[in-house]
Amino acid sequence: MTYRSDNHVALENDGPRLDIVEKVTGKARFTTDYYLPQMLWAAYIICDYGDAHVRKSNIGAARAVKGVLEVQIDKQDGQYHGDRLGHICAESRQALERGLAALDLKFRIRNPKTRLEDERTPRDKLTPAQNDAEAQKALKESALAAEAEFQTQVQTHVALEPHGCVVDYRGDSAVAYGSTQSNIAFRNDLARELKLRQDQVEFHCEYVGGGFGAKFGCDSEGVLAAKLSKKYSRPCRVIRTRKQEHLDTGNRPGSIQYMRIGLSRDGKMRGGKIATWGSVGPTGGGQASAGGGGGGGVRNPSRYNFGAIAKVHEDVSLNGGYPRAMRAPGNPQAMFAIELMMDHLAEKAGKDPLEFRLLNETSDIRREMLKVGAELIGWSHRKPNGTTHGPIKRGLGVGVADWGNGRGNATIGINVYRDGTVEVLSGAQDIGTGYRTMIGDVVRTHLGLPRELLVVKVGRSDYPEGPASGGSMTSRATAPKGFMAADLAREGIRRLVAKEWGIQKVDDIALENGVFKAGGKSMDWAKACRLMMRDRLSFSSAEDGQYWKTPTGSEAVQFADVSVDTETGIIRVNKVVALQNVGLPVNRNTIENQICGAVIQGLSFCLFEDRILNRQTGAMVNPNMDMYKIAGPVDVPEIVPIIWREDRDVGVNSLGEPPVIPTPGAIATAVANAIGTQVRSMPLTPDKVLAAIASVGPAARKAKAP
Amino acid sequence: MNSFDYLVAEQFDAAVAEYGRGTAALKAGGIDLLDLMKEGIDSPSTVLSIGELGEFRYIRDENDGVHIGCLTTLADIGRSKLLKIKYPVLHHAAAEAATPQIRERATIAGNLCQRPRCWYFRQREFHCLKKGGATCFAVDGENRYHAIFGGGPSYIVHPSNIAPALVALDAVIHVRSTDKENEPIKAADFFVLPEQSLKTENVLKPGQIISEVVLPQAPTQSATIELREKQSFDWPVTMACVARLDGGWRVCLGSVAPIPWLSRPAMEVLANKDITPELAAAAGEAAVKGADPLADNEYKVQLVKVATKRALLTAAGLEVPRWN
Repeated sequence: MTYRSDNHVALENDGPRLDIVEKVTGKARFTTDYYLPQMLWAAYIICDYGDAHVRKSNIGAARAVKGVLEVQIDKQDGQYHGDRLGHICAESRQALERGLAALDLKFRIRNPKTRLEDERTPRDKLTPAQNDAEAQKALKESALAAEAEFQTQVQTHVALEPHGCVVDYRGDSAVAYGSTQSNIAFRNDLARELKLRQDQVEFHCEYVGGGFGAKFGCDSEGVLAAKLSKKYSRPCRVIRTRKQEHLDTGNRPGSIQYMRIGLSRDGKMRGGKIATWGSVGPTGGGQASAGGGGGGGVRNPSRYNFGAIAKVHEDVSLNGGYPRAMRAPGNPQAMFAIELMMDHLAEKAGKDPLEFRLLNETSDIRREMLKVGAELIGWSHRKPNGTTHGPIKRGLGVGVADWGNGRGNATIGINVYRDGTVEVLSGAQDIGTGYRTMIGDVVRTHLGLPRELLVVKVGRSDYPEGPASGGSMTSRATAPKGFMAADLAREGIRRLVAKEWGIQKVDDIALENGVFKAGGKSMDWAKACRLMMRDRLSFSSAEDGQYWKTPTGSEAVQFADVSVDTETGIIRVNKVVALQNVGLPVNRNTIENQICGAVIQGLSFCLFEDRILNRQTGAMVNPNMDMYKIAGPVDVPEIVPIIWREDRDVGVNSLGEPPVIPTPGAIATAVANAIGTQVRSMPLTPDKVLAAIASVGPAARKAKAP
Repeated sequence: MNSFDYLVAEQFDAAVAEYGRGTAALKAGGIDLLDLMKEGIDSPSTVLSIGELGEFRYIRDENDGVHIGCLTTLADIGRSKLLKIKYPVLHHAAAEAATPQIRERATIAGNLCQRPRCWYFRQREFHCLKKGGATCFAVDGENRYHAIFGGGPSYIVHPSNIAPALVALDAVIHVRSTDKENEPIKAADFFVLPEQSLKTENVLKPGQIISEVVLPQAPTQSATIELREKQSFDWPVTMACVARLDGGWRVCLGSVAPIPWLSRPAMEVLANKDITPELAAAAGEAAVKGADPLADNEYKVQLVKVATKRALLTAAGLEVPRWN
């Protein structure tokens, strides 16, 4: 038994998020909620176009606006829409906006590079891979071969809570609030900017409204807020606008992926050539921020056994915002191409796509997941490509993924108070994934205590060290320390009970369901805690101990069921079955939330999202939430999250990134199954779907006929 | 956003008088105006709100037709059994627009008067034709959502979901101003092409306020089909509204032209005939006559054919493809 359809989890946690009330009532304070007395407002002055020179600015008028404290232009040339040219600082938001309007920048637009397909080096001009001859040989020896080219678009991070920071510099110390995936990195960056020691900066990010890899370090917002707070000895806030969040805070780069793969007669892949191109910023990858990178790399090939592959890659500079690591960087776009290629090859080999995958799969666990998922989606009823009846056609598709699970540094602290309250402290931040709930449930269930006794405090720099929430790291780095610290806490209270009962061996005392028991005696947790003749007992662990276990590969397999209106090109995803190996599951709700959220983000990437740069000016035409299309409630299909394992043989493993990887490939292959031809360019919009259908329709066949 | 004086009208006559002075921007639900002001496309020194005039929020069935007050929300229309049964073409267009939250705020008059959703118009970076500039950036730029009919020199599409339904129903829009107590304007005459007026999308002159919309005749058959990329909070890429009135079928297309596009070729094919699948398909083919797509929006031609055909089939109660 490898899964339970009810997702019952080993630690038996089905409780809601610990911070649910705070979040739905607005009690939770995000960075943007901090309005401090005497606070200054500051913002970057940005370039309006892709490649442009400031030919006119009215700095004098901007400075003359009442309430504007300073206006500074640092450079006259902008290389992308959103490029930071200078800054403005004012007494109020109103003054800030008036100052920006008065500045009235005029630009001379040069020739922005906006399209990956136009700017890339042609494949035959790229330097061949070192093993090109080996791949060439594999292709030559292959009985069959197929080639195809795929394209994916730029997806912006567009976190619901924009990047931002509020800094209150106080001479020999500072208090700051920021939206981040690493409060330690943020604090350290601020300390450096303010020339303070690390201990002199108190940093808060108790609540974060989303982070997908673009919120490490204090970033440009923190740099500006720190500089101005120090200069004026007043608090200063720099919060990005929704527009700037699209333009200048990172994106998943666009890609073009060429694949030519050879097959042996039995359908096994022998090797071949892969060329990928990725869109990066005007001066390369990941240079937009102080805190994080992200090039144009694409993880193609991966997951399947492709044989001997000669791979070449080129980062292609465009006059658009820089990419930054985004939820499984390089992976969803790779698996879009790979899964379509797998189907293409399966067809060449005359095999069912599932059978072809099982034949070329590298993971035994995924092979098992593929079989179970196929049963859950009804793969045996899958029709040959394009053969369902009527204009609205149905199709099934599949995608796979995995993720690494290394160790990470963290410390979990526990204070047990005399009234029985268990306070869990962790400097790691909850970026919306449910970390607060996860670490609380680790400690609580390990001690066997009710939730009412538990308080979990996370996201402050003065709490015990937490890891950066990137690379699907947080849970696997902290959970073992949580178990260890809980063991220490149990031991500490048990000693009090042992002393009270005159028992020498503390191991003779059991703690079950919040009650200590030994030799017919019993005492509940709260009463036991009152035995301490002090305010609290404190415990902490920075060690994994016995709780670090051989990790899984966080394997993921998803099956998609879609309908495509072949007369309009509109796609609706009916259902996604998402099987996910998470290692030891802690809280069912947060795991299911993570999987469902990832599927929705993957669907949105596959069908809708697209950073569109105007070809004449390089300006992004859709930097808002109505024209940058993101899946809404009606677009969300039935999602069946399946937690693959429920036993304690493995540790708590990665979950943030793996489930977002298979979705685009699963949907794209399902669409191809429905309409009988592949749409090889994301997003799969009606124009592309109709064009693909037309390319194999009667008219196209007639045109191709000799 | 600029700072501004905020006036709240307590009487419609007072609002008409104040608006007639020509200094205020008019706000009903505020959906459109807020977006324009946030981006700096519009920066009025005074905003005049008529949103609190509850007496202009009504749907009344009277002898001369159904009267809909200017402040009736899209959600009100969506909740109206009368409109659902007798005017499905309008009911559907309102009930499916935007999101539930927006429908509760957005008014029928505001919906008709909203400015284009063209991404060049909506962004301050583009000094486009409609904002007094020299270029319609859509012509050589990103134009996948732009007009395939009636374009030039600007290629916006009219953003209202309600307008094509009203044109199909041959509705009458009643307008008040300090000069005229009531000026009825046929919906089909209300909207203007860019070649007639670049800076506005309708015939309203400064100081004129829509007071109500009248549907003079209930169609014997009607339907709306909207084709959207996304099913939540998205404008249709193409819509077709059809209604069978005494004089015959009226077909109006949305999201494909700078105005609700009354498709006379389709109407000529249909005349007042009963719908068959063949006739619906023929009307769809006729509806694309004169289409002149830009580089990236040729797919809309196919969508117009399908939307028109399916709207007619739906109106006639015939089978249309359904999501399964």
